[in-house]
Amino acid sequence: MKSRLVVTPNRCIGCRTCELACSFNHAIDGKPGRSRIFVMGGGFKDLWVPVTCLQCDDAACVKSCLVGALRRNEETGAIELNQDKCVKCMACTAACPFGCSIYDSGQDQVVKCDLCGGDPACARFCPTKALEYKPIAQVKPAQVKVKAVG
Amino acid sequence: MVHLTINGQVVQANDGEMLLDVIKRMGIDIPAICQHDAVEPFGSCRLCTVEITKADWDGWKNYVTSCLYPVADGLIVNTHSETVNEIRKTLLDLYLARHPNSLFVRKLAAEHGVTKTSYEEIPDGDDCILCGLCTRICERMGFSAISTVGRGHSKEVAPPLKEAPPDCVGCLACAQCCPTGHIKFSEEGASRSIWGKQFEKIACSKCGKLTITKEFADSLSETRNIPREYFDVCDDCRRKEIALTMGRLAQWSREEETV
Ligand code: SF4
Ligand code: SF4
Ligand code: SF4
Ligand code: FES
Repeated sequence: MKSRLVVTPNRCIGCRTCELACSFNHAIDGKPGRSRIFVMGGGFKDLWVPVTCLQCDDAACVKSCLVGALRRNEETGAIELNQDKCVKCMACTAACPFGCSIYDSGQDQVVKCDLCGGDPACARFCPTKALEYKPIAQVKPAQVKVKAVG
Repeated sequence: MVHLTINGQVVQANDGEMLLDVIKRMGIDIPAICQHDAVEPFGSCRLCTVEITKADWDGWKNYVTSCLYPVADGLIVNTHSETVNEIRKTLLDLYLARHPNSLFVRKLAAEHGVTKTSYEEIPDGDDCILCGLCTRICERMGFSAISTVGRGHSKEVAPPLKEAPPDCVGCLACAQCCPTGHIKFSEEGASRSIWGKQFEKIACSKCGKLTITKEFADSLSETRNIPREYFDVCDDCRRKEIALTMGRLAQWSREEETV
């Protein structure tokens, strides 16, 4: 894994460009997918938090998947969902402590952030750098390791 | 790495891969209805049959189920030869006789030019083509709640003794994967019923949204070592919670900056 998606809520202006970019980047046959990133209220005035999968080290989604459909892509660091293996049991959607494995009713499939295969559209289109895809060397240690603590 | 020819095109494949994997990757459409990547290939529907030969086979040809046939160097494959198409039609003709009421079978047969069976119909035939995908998937999930019982015409998929299966957790994976939609379940409010067993879904402790069944959550928590509390709050409320937690940290660093 060479890079990591870094979220800086204080830079977010709540424009939801990331959600659009995500939807369109995950379109199937021209039909946009459900965004895997969510711009949420941070509980204070003018404070937004883009909530997205943290690609946890000891991920609850991976543990919950009984058929091995969720696996880490060692290149990108993303935990990817293999649609051909998924049996739509919804275990991962119930297990993720951050609510980032979700059901897309439009495409009738379970989806999660895949870091767009190594070039996350959300970060590419974020106008304020609230989302950045940074080489690991430039990421503060506290932002590198994430554990699934509920 | 091996090299083979599929429908006249030379392709590379990995050792140990099955022919069907390569055929699918090339975007060639052949029916393969008893196959699902969550489980090992089984070879029961036979619709994925293809024609194979090699340059040194003296024109001799063989017909194999591609889901079970490993790739090999120099293999020459035809997915839609005249004979292959005939084999598929014959199979679908038989399926149509056995399952005249199945919309899935009728559609698939029609797509291959079979609209009427030439055999004797079983008028009350059900939708189950006995591909065993449901039982294999349930077994893969670690539950083995259902199995194929009986023989010949009375063969069917059912829980043991045809009673509510004690090991079923109501995950619906079997129903989701059944190619013909034979497995029925019903949902009413928080309750779900499948294979004659009743389940109650978890209602999110914050908003009440219904998620997976309690039995499934208990099992996952136990066998996969996931804290059971994870399953008490739904995904929507989880995201709200994490936003508020991160929001507090962000607000705190904002205040730091201004003093
Ligand atoms: S919904 Fe799919 S990816 Fe999620 S746990 Fe079930 S099989 Fe695995
Ligand atoms: S719903 Fe029951 S029978 Fe079907 S896959 Fe899940 S545990 Fe097995
Ligand atoms: S119920 Fe469906 S999945 Fe199970 S054997 Fe029958 S057709 Fe296959
Ligand atoms: S998919 Fe190969 S026999 Fe059914």
